[in-house]
Amino acid sequence: MTIKPFLRPRITGARFAGGAIPLEVLADFAVLSEMILEVAKWKYREDNPSRQRVPRGFSEGISLKLTGVEEGSSIPVISLVVGSALLIQTESEQYFNAARDTVISAVAAAEQGTRITDHLPEKLLGYFDRFGRNLAEGEAIELESAATQQRARLTKDTRRKLVLASSAKHYTEETSVYGLVHEFDQRAKTFQLTLPTGEILKGIPADSQHYDSILEAHKEFRNQQRVRVTGVGRFDVFDKLLEIGSVEHVVPLDPLDVVVRIEELKLLKRGWLDGKGEAIDSQKLDWVVEAFQNYYADDAKLPYLFPTPEGHLLAEWSLGENSVSLEIDLGTRIADWHVLNLTSNDEESKQLDLRKSDSWELISNAVKKMGGVSE
Amino acid sequence: MIDATIVYRQIHPSFVQAGFPTSQAFRPTPKDESKLSVYDGDQITAENAFQHYINDLDLSSVGVMGLTVSECLEESLTVCSDPEPFREHAVIDFSGLSDKDCRNKSKKLQSKAVHRGWLHRAS
Repeated sequence: MTIKPFLRPRITGARFAGGAIPLEVLADFAVLSEMILEVAKWKYREDNPSRQRVPRGFSEGISLKLTGVEEGSSIPVISLVVGSALLIQTESEQYFNAARDTVISAVAAAEQGTRITDHLPEKLLGYFDRFGRNLAEGEAIELESAATQQRARLTKDTRRKLVLASSAKHYTEETSVYGLVHEFDQRAKTFQLTLPTGEILKGIPADSQHYDSILEAHKEFRNQQRVRVTGVGRFDVFDKLLEIGSVEHVVPLDPLDVVVRIEELKLLKRGWLDGKGEAIDSQKLDWVVEAFQNYYADDAKLPYLFPTPEGHLLAEWSLGENSVSLEIDLGTRIADWHVLNLTSNDEESKQLDLRKSDSWELISNAVKKMGGVSE
Repeated sequence: MIDATIVYRQIHPSFVQAGFPTSQAFRPTPKDESKLSVYDGDQITAENAFQHYINDLDLSSVGVMGLTVSECLEESLTVCSDPEPFREHAVIDFSGLSDKDCRNKSKKLQSKAVHRGWLHRAS
């Protein structure tokens, strides 16, 4: 058996820091192996148009294997493993190497915006629907051919272009959405989700390991118990999510989750309050998320967040006999802090500059002191 | 209306999170001219008030919360019938109050309404 260097794809992105490769990403390389074999066969037929199929044994005794992970970075080392009888470079091996270079050329074309089908036919581009599916935003698989020195980066964006250049009218990718479970059909083992935009996602598979979460969310529909559903989504050419075909996780969200609530508030249009009510600037809302994540204590109870008719934000806490509010002017980032004791009518109010971390510390400590400690 | 009469307040969808209403739902906005609109519970049920609000008036509501007239009076807020827009219409009067007073009273009303719970919710 001979092990020959074939490809050393470099995987970049925060998830791969320190040389760690999540196991689900390795599944993508199994698809790459399938694709290389099929591209090798296609190249053979291109070179030998008189032959309808590749010679018997074309791929026998030759395979792609993960033979290591290079230290210091996330580089799976993929080698071409050739059976012991094949010590010299065979015709098959040449086609495997040519297939690798063709795949890299196709990715480079997607990156550069040139015609992808000059490199690979539509039907073989369909493999990109599975190769790279696990890449998240900001992540990439960098491919480089040792033979041609050509480099190309497979990202979410280039992968989408590759799939849509294939005969497919849709593409799939790992996706995560959240919403309310408004219907759960236990006989059909599917559920439906109302997304924050009001759109409905139907026929989501309800696997038995997710039953409890789905059932609980369905029961708590009226109390707006949201779930985050992660799985493989199918999108159309306009990037619209059409369905979720397989589900990996169904996770109940904290009803007061700040990120989720802010995303909802971003959807409010001018006139949201029966014709009145200003929309809230999305960038200003992003700052709210950042501020809560960076400065608000993890162990302090989260507030309810509401829009104000003037286009600002009101945070409210109900803490025993205290009704607490923080009315935030999103333009100046100055807020009115107010505590009213509902029994004694004692009140406390002050202006806080939310650009300062001290103000957030004061809020967190006050909330905790009044019993608002998160469970 | 007597002291025990419950008046119904419609709650706008954006004024609720996880079943909890904001105190803003219990104070008038500037367009309301210091009068908080409610339905007179002696004349209409919570469910019918909700249906009237969303169907006849074509306004948004996720449900109905309630306060008694005496609970409003405890906060020095008078409640009176105002049948001009429609027969069952009534108002809680915040006239002459400062923004600060409006905020405090709305928090007290919010607390009382939350304690009573939802009287009707959209299905």
